[in-house]
Amino acid sequence: MSDGRIFIEPVPTAETEAFWAGTAEGRFLVRRCRSCGKAHWYPRTICPFCSSDETEWVEGTGEGTIYSFSIMRRAKPNYVMAYVTLTEGPTMMTNIVDCDPESLRIGDAVRVTYVKTAEGRALPMFTPKSEASA
Amino acid sequence: MSEKQLSRAMAGVAAIAGVGHSDWIADYAAVRGGTKPHDSFGYGAIAFKRALEDAGIDKSEIDGLVSGPPTAHERMCEVLGIDPRWGVQADAMMGIQAAALAIHGGMCEVVALVYGNDQRSAAVNYGGSNAAGGNAFLSYIYHAPWGFTSQGALYAIMLRRFMHDTGFSERDMAEVAVAQRLHSSLNPHAIMQKRITIEDYLASHYVTEPLHLFDYCLINDGGVAFIMMSAERARRCKKKPAVIHGIGRYDLSREATSLTPRLTNFYRPAQKAVAEQAFGMAGIGPKDVSCMQVYDSFSVHVPLALEGYGYCGYGEAARFIRETGISLERGIPVNTSGGHLSESYMQGWNHQVEAVRQIRGECGPRQVPDCRFVHYSSDVAGKALSIIYGH
Ligand SMILES: [Zn+2]
Repeated sequence: MSDGRIFIEPVPTAETEAFWAGTAEGRFLVRRCRSCGKAHWYPRTICPFCSSDETEWVEGTGEGTIYSFSIMRRAKPNYVMAYVTLTEGPTMMTNIVDCDPESLRIGDAVRVTYVKTAEGRALPMFTPKSEASA
Repeated sequence: MSEKQLSRAMAGVAAIAGVGHSDWIADYAAVRGGTKPHDSFGYGAIAFKRALEDAGIDKSEIDGLVSGPPTAHERMCEVLGIDPRWGVQADAMMGIQAAALAIHGGMCEVVALVYGNDQRSAAVNYGGSNAAGGNAFLSYIYHAPWGFTSQGALYAIMLRRFMHDTGFSERDMAEVAVAQRLHSSLNPHAIMQKRITIEDYLASHYVTEPLHLFDYCLINDGGVAFIMMSAERARRCKKKPAVIHGIGRYDLSREATSLTPRLTNFYRPAQKAVAEQAFGMAGIGPKDVSCMQVYDSFSVHVPLALEGYGYCGYGEAARFIRETGISLERGIPVNTSGGHLSESYMQGWNHQVEAVRQIRGECGPRQVPDCRFVHYSSDVAGKALSIIYGH
């Protein structure tokens, strides 16, 4: 799945520890504000929209659409960086994996999948829905 | 922005009276050959000396210093041999704004703005998880696990979406690099002087698709300096001054780490506010601009600036580039020196030198005829800034 790529390890902080604990269990957690109701990315304690500290983790759908992407041709193996808009609203930087990079299009529906790092963390990445279900 | 008071108080107050820079071509060759002509301070000092000569003033007249980001302020004062009564460490744009305010406020009278950077010989890393101060700019830390560790990746993703939304093509993108190479081929100071064609561009390899090799700025050592003073005083200097008629800045920093301002908004809200401020202060509009200098770490800055500052409507950059033109051959010439792509990567500092030379009429074969106003724009890292230079 990772084609021998070596990943830079994520650096969990007090604000994101739970998120990374979630991905290790195959759960995609999204931070949402109880005060204004909006979800945000990256996860924060203080809501970026209304400054409330009444934020909480909710189970995300792990689904979204490709807002834009780039194939990193400089690296071997190539990989696909993408900005994916989650169904919960926010857009996040990620990768598209298990796909034919040439066939990817903006707007494609994608679903979360997890790729293990050397230290055993699980990076949330996305894969095209059509291929994932095949 | 429209409800805010737009001030014209700074219009025509300050001017650039002298410019100088290091020998970019020779130093580029030396560094590639394995030698290191100077460190960052040395490059800055050489540029400073030349800027003083260009202005025709003595070092003793300098009482303010703006030093660029790579060099410690105190040490730069020591190397230049000055004890200023005002100073700040800042990038080109914030430095110009601060210096003009300091002069206007009477905190000092003659400011040297000095930049030196040994980024090539020191192998400064602009990629990787700690690139460009990864700890300070959270995005690099957050996105590094996904291999998103460079500005190139950011601008590639931005360009792909811009193309999708507006119909802008790779061939349209090619026009920027090709025009700037035409310009640099007429510039004796430019590192890259060999002209390229649209076909050369399209045949070049991708780095981060859809960005080609030619969309990337150079990485080279060097220094730049300029001397700012009141416009009134500058008119008594050796050469014709480049007077600052308009300055504007607007920051889009909310959601900076999420990258929304750039990837989703293409800087547009910031550019709109800056255009109102800077053009408003100068009392002109895009149609009055003789040439543009655009901060071009990547070529994609150019179409975004054309649209964002009102040279054409949103989504019309491709048509503007094709029908009006952005080269010295026709239309509004953009980056008449070759810019960061082809002249020298001096992080916006060399664009000021070119603006001043165009206003003075010193540019020889690349001179824009009857150059009345030059618009410099810089849209990077969440900040949009502009300066309007004129007579
Ligand atoms: Zn909220």
